[in-house]
This record gives sequence, C-alpha cells and structure tokens, in this order.
Amino acid sequence: MCSRPAAAGWVFPVLAAILAFVSAVPARGGDREPYLENRLAKEELALAKTPALYFVVRLNSKKISLKSRGMDLAEWSIESLHAWGEPPPLGVLTLEKKSKLPERTKIQPASSDEEAATFELDALELKDMPSKFTLFLSGGIRVYVRPKAKGFFPRLGSFGHFLAWNFWVPLKNLALKLRNKPFTAIVIRLPSAEDGQAVFWAFPDGIKGLVFPL
Amino acid sequence: MSRKKAVRASLLTLAAALVILEVTAWIVARPKPAAVAEESDPKALAKMKAETEAVAKKIGALAPKSAFIVIDSARNTLTMKTKTKEIMKAVVSCGSGSILEEPGGKRTWIFDTPRGEFLVKSKIVDPTWVKPDWAFIEEGKEIPKNRQDRFETGVLGDYALGFGDGFFIHGTLYSRLLGRSVTHGCVRVGDKDLKAVFQAASVGTKIYIF
Repeated sequence: MCSRPAAAGWVFPVLAAILAFVSAVPARGGDREPYLENRLAKEELALAKTPALYFVVRLNSKKISLKSRGMDLAEWSIESLHAWGEPPPLGVLTLEKKSKLPERTKIQPASSDEEAATFELDALELKDMPSKFTLFLSGGIRVYVRPKAKGFFPRLGSFGHFLAWNFWVPLKNLALKLRNKPFTAIVIRLPSAEDGQAVFWAFPDGIKGLVFPL
Repeated sequence: MSRKKAVRASLLTLAAALVILEVTAWIVARPKPAAVAEESDPKALAKMKAETEAVAKKIGALAPKSAFIVIDSARNTLTMKTKTKEIMKAVVSCGSGSILEEPGGKRTWIFDTPRGEFLVKSKIVDPTWVKPDWAFIEEGKEIPKNRQDRFETGVLGDYALGFGDGFFIHGTLYSRLLGRSVTHGCVRVGDKDLKAVFQAASVGTKIYIF
C-alpha cells in the first residue's frame, strides 16, 4: 500500500497526462463552414448597410479587417491566437472599452501674439498608441492584443503573459462560470508592435464588428 | 508519522489539490466550438451556399461604383481609388487629437479627424477660412462679433473639398508637417496632390476615414 506522500506524487504525472490529452484534442466540430459563412454574410450585410466602420475577425483565417460598405479599408494578419471559454456569439459585438488610453495633450490658449505665432508639435500619433492592450467586447469577451515578442525583455514579459494566460485565466473563467457569468478570452499575437498600435488606432470605442471561427 | 513527514504530506496534498483545481479550470475553460446547425442534406446545403453568394453580392453592391477617397488618419495618407485600382496616393496631415478648453470651461474641442463614411459636399476654388471660435480661443484672442472679422485668405491653399460639419480636405502653408498629425480635424494635402484630388473628385464622391 502506498504512503500518502507517494500517492500525492503519483497524482502529478496522471494529471499532467490528462492535461496533455485535453490540450491536444482540437476544439472543433465537423464541417460547419457553409453555415458559418452564411451567418457571417448575413451579419455583415446588416453592418455594411450602415455608414459606420466595422471590424471582422476571422479566427481560423487569422485575419483582422476594418471595413466599410463591405470593403476592406485595412487588414492585419494574426501571427497566432489562443482562446479560453465560451465561443464568441455569432452576431454583432460592440467594443465597450479598451484597457489603455493614451493621454491627450491639452492646448493652453496663447497669452500673447508672440506665443500664438510659435508652433509646438504636440500631437497624438500612431507611435503614441499602445501595442499591448485588451479590447473589452460586449458579452464579456476579452481580446488581448499583443505583438510578437522580440528581444530579451519583451520575451520575459511574454513568458509572464504565458503563465498568466495558462494558469490565471482558466481559474478566472472557472470562477465566472460558477457565478453564471459569460467569459471568453482570446489572445491575439500580431507580427509587430506597429500592427498592434494600428489596430488600437483603428478600433475606436463603440465600433461594432464580428468575431467568427472561420 | 513524524512531524516532518506530516508537513511534507500536507504540502503535497495541497499541491495536488491546486493541480486538480487548475486541471478542472483548464477543462472547463477549453474553447468550445460555436453551436451551429450542421446541414447534411446536399440540397439544403446547396441552397445555403447560393444564399451566401447572393448576400455576398449584395454586400459587394454597397461599395461605391465610382472613384472614392480613403484617408488613413493613423498613417496620414490619402488614397484615391476605384474598386479595382489605386488612382493616386498622397501624404497628408490629419487631426492632432489635442484638447482645447474655453477659459471658464464652457466648451471643449477635441481635434480629431472624424471617422467613418462621408461624401464631398462642396468644391471650392481659392477658399477663404472662416475662423471658428476655437481658433480665436487658441490664439488667446477675443471672439469677434462681426462675421467679416473671421475671414482669413490664403491659408487653405488653392482648393478645398468640404465633407460636412466644417471639415475640409484643403491645402497647407506647412508642407514640412505633412505626414504628421497636426491639424484641428481637417485633412491638409500638399499643393500638387490637392490639385489632383480636386480634379478627380466631384460633389458626391465618397470619403472613408479611419
């Protein structure tokens, strides 16, 4: 008969094996593509009929598009993505807020003609946008946008994110599930920091869009 | 059992409990596929595909039929294009994103270039700038009561394309700042490119700004 410490030690490899199995099984069903394409087209038509810009994230194709009237105004490739929790609903989502907001410069009215004539370039530009941020979409969907880590410190930060993503986020999901609250987390890694900044710029609060497993 | 062994056993049990909790969380959190009806009937499937194509055509028909303007306010570029080809591309200046508060805090302006779909509402040759209130506040001057005192010539270049709410695509005296976000919301274009845009666009031309 095993002693208690030995039994506890035996638990780890078994759980590790379960873990490996669970993570290896793809979370996809059969061929649902025609239905999904049909649903996406119908949902997009409703968005494209309005003059507002909208976004479409195609998870399997790894593409983010900013669109208007059905035309791609800008498109970004996704380097890699991972998800936890419920699938995003197959309908229109709204960007409720972003995790970080760059500070705007306040213009001080000139106190003299000389001061009015001088020009100081103090603008909010693409380079001032964050490249790592979270998009809080309606329905409790969080999209973590991060650039591909290059260099020692970004890689270290990326490792920290890896730990948080694989240990903390599932626990958070479990806690929310027990409280019957919806939770979907998607981490999207973009090829460069500039892509992240451009996505941040292109997605103003309130923009509507679609996230589809296509 | 010795005290040391008991502590070790407790720690291992705790660790095992944590692992079990984490594994449970992992299993619960695993991404699930979206619940959709899978169609197995070939006829119904063909019908669905035809419907998708028809909807895609309807979406395609919403795009402008003639040339349109796309302004990327992040990269400060203006592109004139049709559905199939690019006609011209120019470096421009868009809104600075700065904030101006009226002394006394009555009014606030955010100098962003508006985003979305617009259309050219007016085409003006030799435009005169009718300075809005914020321009006087920014310069620390009193807002004039007489409209004539708001007129300023020669600052908007040779042409201007109005797209509503006082926003224009116009020329600039500060061509060295093209490519930077420095305006109060209008889109500044260099002289040569402005002439080309002005000639290619007509009233009703669609403008997409993002």
